[in-house]
Parts: sequence; structure tokens; C-alpha cells
Amino acid sequence: MITIRHLKKEYANATPLKDVNVEIHKGDVISVIGPSGTGKSTLIRCINLLETPTSGEIFVDGECITDKKCNINKVRQKMGMVFQSFNLFNHMNVIENIMAAPMDLLKKSKQEAYDYGIELLRTVGLADKAFNYPDQLSGGQKQRVAIVRALAMEPEIILLDEPTSALDPTMVGEVQAVIRDLARKGLTLMIVTHEMRFAREIANRVFYMDEGGVYEDGTPEEIFDNPKKEKTIRFIKHLKVFEHLITSKDFDFIGFNTDLEEFGRRNQVAPKTIYRAQSVFEELAVQCVLPKLDKDFKLNVAFEYSQEEETLFMTLKYDGDTFDVRNTPNVISFAIAENASESIEYAEIDEDGFKNLVTVKIK
Amino acid sequence: MTIEQIVNATELTVKVAGRLDTTTAPELETFLKQSIEGVEKLILDFSELEYLSSAGLRILLTTQKAMNKQGEMIIKNINETINEIFEVTGFIDILTVE
Ligand SMILES: Nc1ncnc2c1ncn2[C@@H]1O[C@H](COP(=O)(O)OP(=O)(O)OP(=O)(O)O)[C@@H](O)[C@H]1O
Ligand SMILES: [Mg+2]
Repeated sequence: MITIRHLKKEYANATPLKDVNVEIHKGDVISVIGPSGTGKSTLIRCINLLETPTSGEIFVDGECITDKKCNINKVRQKMGMVFQSFNLFNHMNVIENIMAAPMDLLKKSKQEAYDYGIELLRTVGLADKAFNYPDQLSGGQKQRVAIVRALAMEPEIILLDEPTSALDPTMVGEVQAVIRDLARKGLTLMIVTHEMRFAREIANRVFYMDEGGVYEDGTPEEIFDNPKKEKTIRFIKHLKVFEHLITSKDFDFIGFNTDLEEFGRRNQVAPKTIYRAQSVFEELAVQCVLPKLDKDFKLNVAFEYSQEEETLFMTLKYDGDTFDVRNTPNVISFAIAENASESIEYAEIDEDGFKNLVTVKIK
Repeated sequence: MTIEQIVNATELTVKVAGRLDTTTAPELETFLKQSIEGVEKLILDFSELEYLSSAGLRILLTTQKAMNKQGEMIIKNINETINEIFEVTGFIDILTVE
């Protein structure tokens, strides 16, 4: 349905896309993942011609849309676009937002546009908000309206660029549920997302972007469980494990907590679990272990989340004397940590200079 | 963490919002040390306190001891998670929580 050949996009001081060659089939649900700045948004914006490619060709249903003679508006009608920031018109109510384009571009009558708009709103549970204005809606509701607005044009493909990343965590679920529904109905979707569990479960194909293109393309199992190329392997490993080596008592505690929260969001760990993880880290590592270590020390912290079992593990490795953290004199800290954990285990080890290993299963 | 205070004669209400942890606890400690002089009733409003660690608990303990000599200290509006921390550490028996 969409064929991309030798697509290149160059900016004055960056070339996010060097040579992209991919084929998107009807009914594909593609998750686009990859580090920041690797051209994920640029690719989506080129497909939609919101950006003019520097060179290369994009074919949609056999028609070359990068050709100057091509009618851009006709092409755009085939593609719905959903942005991170909703982009609803604030001076129009919900149903007016939805009806505008179909009346304008598809020449639908007011009644037709209205009826179809209401029908679509019903499918996302928002029919009763038809006459509300965008600023009367929550972020999750606005994004569902934005999705309906895209659907109202009866597009062949919907391109979504981080549709849930501007949302409050409590609203991510409702928007993901709507997108999952679209996938189930057989719509062709391409979604840029940083939420990996969602990326995995929704897609039949995953594009990992890096090095100026689609670096690795495969099924979710191939990309997430058996990535083949070096950068993909590193990215996937880093996704699943959050690891930090602490060598100073003045390490960046706030930064650590922020990164841990970001790790939680990527893996869709419940916010409550991340809260407990922060608590366990602070009480065991910072309050109990750090004061016991020498001036020159190393303390390694790793968090790993298992999606299958929905469990988060923390391991602490540290050097110095053998010290079983469960025997800490700091009973207050230990009580808090214990309350936030399913289990706290200790072992003596001798590995890369580390002498102690603490394994915690977070509650 | 943010700290707000309301002074009403010898009654002082301190509202602590955000995270009270290893990095922010010293700031609250300094603030309370300077502010409780002459205070007979200290109210700590924790309605917007999101996170509390042992570092914060220690300050509550020292402040409680100081207030025992000059009046009373009351903690208000704690959420469920913070209540749990008070319970597992036994602080619930030492502090006055409303
Ligand atoms: N309009 C522009 N002008 C100049 N440079 C741009 C423009 N848009 C994007 N870039 C650059 O192109 C590169 C790719 O940007 P892009 O937004 O596509 O990345 P991304 O993969 O979507 O990243 P993120 O995950 O952070 O959203 C970046 O280096 C960016 O700075
Ligand atoms: Mg982007």
C-alpha cells in the first residue's frame, strides 16, 4: 500500500533520514521505536508530506506522492494523523472539530458528517461530549477526539506520533484501548511510541530506527526477544534493564529517581510499583548500604522488569566488607524497605570486585 | 519539595508538598529549627506530601522531641502510603496524627 524508496531528509544541520526503504502493507500495524532524534517523527511527517523529502520516492497505492504533479490534498485524505499535542481547534466544539474536514474535503453533507461523527464518538465512549469544547475535556478525552477526527476522514492509514506521551499516566490506558480497537478492526496503523509493552502487543511489525533509517524491521518477537543487529540489541537490553553505577556519596539522587520513573513509564510499570522501588532504593542502598562503604567504593543498582510476570526486581551489588543488609542496625529504613518488598535476599559474591549481592522483589 | 507556613500567634502551620527524602529532608530540618521557637502548637499539613522516606521520619522525630518541651505537634492529612510508613515503622504511636 505504501512503498518508500531511498527516502532522504536533510536539514541544515541534521540528516535524520539517509536512506529509508520499506513497504507497508494494508492492515499492517507498525510500531516505530528507537532512540530520540533518530527520525521517527520525520519519517511519519514525510509520509504525510508535512515535510518535503530531500530525495527518494513514496508511493501510495501505486501513486508517487513525492512527484510534484501529485495532488497533495488528495493524498492527505488517505492518511489520518494524530499528534502528541492533540491539535484540536479550541474555538470549535467536539463535533464541529470532527465534522469540519469531511464536509470541506469529502464534500459530505452536514447531516452525514454529523451522523458519522456521532457514531465514531460512540465507539470511543464520548458521544455525550459532542457539544463540549476541547478545554472542557481531559487530556485522554481530547486525544480520543483527535483520533475520531482522523477516522472521520475514512483514511486508509493512520499515522500516530507518540499519541499518549503528553498524557497524565492515568489516561494512557483509555487512549491505548481505543488504538488497540482500531488495530483489531484491521485499520492500517503506524505508531511512534516509547511505551514498549504497548508497541509490542499492538503491532505485527516493529521498525527500530537508528543510523538514518529503519535499522531493523521484524515481528515484535524478533525485535523484542531476538534482536539481531548490534544497536537494536543494545537498545532492547537497555529498555528492560535500568542500571546505574554509583561511585560517589554525592551522586545525582534526583536524576536517579527521574530516570527510574522514565524506565517505569517505558515499561508501563504501575506508578505505585515505581514508588515502592524508589523507596526500597533509598532505604536499602542510600540509608543502609552507602554509610557502610569505604571512601572509594562502587555500588551497582539494577532494576529489571518482567512483563510476563509483572514483577520488578532490584539488585544491589557493592564492594567492601561482607555486609548482609538484613542485619542493618537501621531498623527504620529496613522496615520501610521490607514493607515495600515481596522478598529481600542476600548473598556473598566475588564478581568484578563486588562482594555483596542483594536481590529484592518489589511488591 | 515546597514548604509553606501560616503563623497564627503561637500556632504554626507548615504545609510540606512533594517529596520528603534524602535530598530534601535537610531543608525541612533547617526550616523547622528556625521556625518553631516560641511555637506552642505546630501543625504539619501533609495533604500534598507525595513521598516520605526514613530521612524525613528522623526530622519528624527530632521535631516531635523539641515540641514536647514547648507544646504539641500534630500531623494532618496524610495519604494512605504515608500512613503505611508510619505504621510499619511504629511512628504512628510516637506521633500525633489526625
Ligand atoms: N524542522 C527541523 N529543522 C531542523 N532539524 C530538524 C527538524 N525536525 C527535526 N530535526 C532534526 O532531525 C533529527 C530527527 O528528529 P525527529 O523529530 O524525527 O526525531 P525522533 O526520532 O522523532 O525523536 P523523539 O523520539 O525525540 O521524538 C533531530 O536531530 C532533529 O533535531
Ligand atoms: Mg518524535
